[in-house]
Amino acid sequence: MRNTALRYCVLAVAFSVLVCAAAVLHLRASASDELPRVELNADNIGPRQIEDLTSKSIPRDYALAWQTMAQALEENRTDVLDGYFTGFEKDELTQRVKSQMKSDLHTRYQDRGHKLQAIFYAPAGDAMELRDHAQLDVQVLDGGKVIYEGPVNVDYIVIMTPGADRWLVRQMQAVQGEKP
Amino acid sequence: MRRLITVAIIFLVASVAQAAEIHPPAQTVAGNPITIASSGSGDATFYLIGPASASKRQVQAGSDIAVDSDQIEHAGRYVAILCASDGCASSSFFVNAAAPNRLSLLVHPSRVPVGSANGISTVAFVFDNFHNLVLKPDSIKFSVQPKGGNEVSADRESKDGIAWVRLTSAKKEGPTKLGAAIGHANEIRVVQQVAADACNLRIKASRAKNDYLIETDPVRDCSGNPVPDGTVVSFTMTDSAGKTTVDVPIKRGVAKIEMSIKGRARVTVASGVVTGNELEVSGG
Repeated sequence: MRNTALRYCVLAVAFSVLVCAAAVLHLRASASDELPRVELNADNIGPRQIEDLTSKSIPRDYALAWQTMAQALEENRTDVLDGYFTGFEKDELTQRVKSQMKSDLHTRYQDRGHKLQAIFYAPAGDAMELRDHAQLDVQVLDGGKVIYEGPVNVDYIVIMTPGADRWLVRQMQAVQGEKP
Repeated sequence: MRRLITVAIIFLVASVAQAAEIHPPAQTVAGNPITIASSGSGDATFYLIGPASASKRQVQAGSDIAVDSDQIEHAGRYVAILCASDGCASSSFFVNAAAPNRLSLLVHPSRVPVGSANGISTVAFVFDNFHNLVLKPDSIKFSVQPKGGNEVSADRESKDGIAWVRLTSAKKEGPTKLGAAIGHANEIRVVQQVAADACNLRIKASRAKNDYLIETDPVRDCSGNPVPDGTVVSFTMTDSAGKTTVDVPIKRGVAKIEMSIKGRARVTVASGVVTGNELEVSGG
């Protein structure tokens, strides 16, 4: 009787562990499909005031830019960079993906969110400068082996310019960072 | 006792054997070569992950690792990783932009009416030789050189890599050169200043066979610049039959129209929001 109870107990614990593992794997897989969380603060923007529509487009398009960048660097694909990057930033990321391919490296981002502060909006509305405080978990893999991983807080200076139907990232430069 | 000795030996070996470590400088300047000190021993793999590159090569742990200038041309966060048999060690560092030496200039609009207060905006983005945004404040010289006029300039300090200025267009039409300069960089754009709205619009009437020829004086703006050909002028005739409006583009500086007038009529003229004089005409 006691043995049977113990056996059921072990089985229950094993089942729970399996369920938890499956849940963790599922959450991890769906996290990369989710749009990163971006909060925009445009209180100190100038000299032009931000329009309502622009204040919605900027965080949406910036989040999509990060999502596509993460996809490009994890899967070593340059084609996904066309959507939300332009100019030198697109060139830089393309170079990065190509050099990752050459060395069989991959970079995996777990995005924990962005606090975006708009600091300059050109008088003609054709460029915006922002400061992003990004919180990320970064993994670098050589083949399938993780060679680097860690949580990182990085500040970026970002320049976005309007395209036909969206804002594009033209410059994204990490300017300071620390481990949390 | 044997077990104790074994544990002691393992502990001793472990404390003597040094795990690989890597010590890049905390920050450096784009395009400058650096040397990264490492510790440990034996064969190792060195990785350098930057904004525009990800490289991998074999090195000896414990030796200094040279990083060429072309590997750190892009400003941003880099991660140096050293993987030896005992695992991987990593350290991150920042590459800052080099000295400002390029400008990217946005000037709007490309055509502007004369005398437009703050009608021209000029935004300059400051870059180094490697297209990195230079965030350190620096003085940028903005200049305006109208055709046949003297250059006027003003200095503005860049903030977060950007400096900007608003300008009022000149009183005289024609191309104006707008420039911005920093270091060896000097960017110039040309803005076409065109006449503003018509001013003192006047018409006169004269007999032409059976009709009247209604004609404007040369159409000019308030600064005396001729309003461009193609600008529309509206003539409106009001007589006993009602009101008739005809739009005519300016041609060679004037707008004219032949009108058949029977009885008494009143003719007025307008261009955009500007109205001119009024004529009373009697036809046969």
